Amino acid sequence: MQSVNGHAVDLHQVLSGSTSTHWLGTDALGRDILSRLAEGIGLSFSVAVSVITVCAMIGISVGMLAAWLGGWVDSVLMRFVDIVLSFPGILLAIALAAVLGPGVENLIFALAAVGWVGFARLTRAQVLSLRHAPYIEAAIASGQNTIHIATKHLLPNIAAPLLIEASFGLAAVMIGEAGLSFLGIGIQPPDASLGTMIREGSQLMLVAPMQVFYPGLMLFLLVMSANIAGDALRDYWDVRSKR
Amino acid sequence: MLVRLILFRILESLPTILGVVTLVFFLLHLVPGDPVDALLGETALAADKEALRKAMHLDEPLFSQYTQYISGLTQGDWGKSIINQRDIWTLITERLPATAQLAATSLLLAIFLALPLGMIAARFQGKAQDTAAMTFSLLGVSIPNFWLGPMLMLVFSVFLGWLPVSGMDASGSIILPTIAMGTALAAVLSRMARASWLESMQSDAIRTARAMGVSESTLWWKHSARMTAIPVVTMFALQMGAVLGGAVITETVFDWPGLGLLTIEAIQRRDYPLVQGCVLIIALFYVLTNLLADLLNLWLDPRQAMTIIMDTA
Repeated sequence: MQSVNGHAVDLHQVLSGSTSTHWLGTDALGRDILSRLAEGIGLSFSVAVSVITVCAMIGISVGMLAAWLGGWVDSVLMRFVDIVLSFPGILLAIALAAVLGPGVENLIFALAAVGWVGFARLTRAQVLSLRHAPYIEAAIASGQNTIHIATKHLLPNIAAPLLIEASFGLAAVMIGEAGLSFLGIGIQPPDASLGTMIREGSQLMLVAPMQVFYPGLMLFLLVMSANIAGDALRDYWDVRSKR
Repeated sequence: MLVRLILFRILESLPTILGVVTLVFFLLHLVPGDPVDALLGETALAADKEALRKAMHLDEPLFSQYTQYISGLTQGDWGKSIINQRDIWTLITERLPATAQLAATSLLLAIFLALPLGMIAARFQGKAQDTAAMTFSLLGVSIPNFWLGPMLMLVFSVFLGWLPVSGMDASGSIILPTIAMGTALAAVLSRMARASWLESMQSDAIRTARAMGVSESTLWWKHSARMTAIPVVTMFALQMGAVLGGAVITETVFDWPGLGLLTIEAIQRRDYPLVQGCVLIIALFYVLTNLLADLLNLWLDPRQAMTIIMDTA
């Protein structure tokens, strides 16, 4: 798909329709739309995976700490989680990204800062339900250290709901990243992001409607795929839905 | 007893509100970058930078700035915009009605779409109607509103010429932003309504009522509807956050002069006190909506009230 360079400006080919060289045409700077879409999808996906990885690492650690230690540690951590959850996530991410300034690292930080709480809550609930399971009690009695219990016994047994959360989270982060880029506070040109392509396309809607149609459709399909994967995983692991 | 419980719930939300104010303040003050540099540029004269820093109280210790901010808020002083020196509270209240209007129509659209869809899907579980309703739900949650907005404009404003493209002055201008903002909410709520309706129809209460000869329509419309309302109300409140956060994007797409657009304008002009005010007011609305949902649930399900009373006794 990227046989044509998506960054190559060709002012003789501005807003061209579909041709044998440019299958989906070119944008306002004569760049190949298909190549930019491919780059945008890759960037969206890599940002989403990075954000979910950071969120999972922080959220799982916080959730496990809260559930395992209990007491004031649990109270303090969960109150903080409640406060972060008191914000509309996208709004907090917009404010953070705006203050931090544009750039991929800042974008990942802003999205991860609001995304980890879901993992923390879920992990805490799951660990609390397993805290007194016989195999965990046995592991404690046999003198295994806490990190070993957490990684070898708890984590594999709470992986299913966390994977479902990650799948739906991936969809939410892809929309979030594109939304911030659409607002001009995420990924910056000349890098191709589906959000920036939608923004640029919206400005050309009257003369070249396909400029906004293609990146939006791609984002929609990506998000829908992540949602379908989440649904499938939930149905697969949800015992109640199989009855 | 119920009044005391409601008061308890209201008091319980005060620390959350303080936490929200604190988080907004520190998030916007602790992140790297100097707002003075951002405003004046790194090449500005040192004297000008110092004067602005002093005017914004940024030369004082962080904790002192925080206490001043909290003390100002309690006296109704939300600070002044750096750009036009206008009172932030005035700027917010000027834009609030437009956002409230858009949020209200979006929520109404979501309810009128989601509840019948959820019920039809539950009533015809596993059949074509169920598949159609859940396909709508999947499409609704997957479609980004900043793409749906331009697509709606393209079809209804540009090609068909039925509705205005943007702004809020022309008649019918609220229709497209409402659809763009309400679709995702309708999709989430319809899924929740379907699940709740299915669960309530399998409950002991409904089974007993059915055994006593209560008609199916009464079971669906009277008994099950009340049980379904509880999780739907909770989800509705939780989705308010998405609606208010989504308003920032929807209002930008449609040039709708509400709080969301004010937030983006403040971000673009690097007017941090105004950004702080906008984020705070939206977050406070979200906390209050959740509180209202809690109270509504206590009214819908008195068993919840009893459980809390027993726990706190």
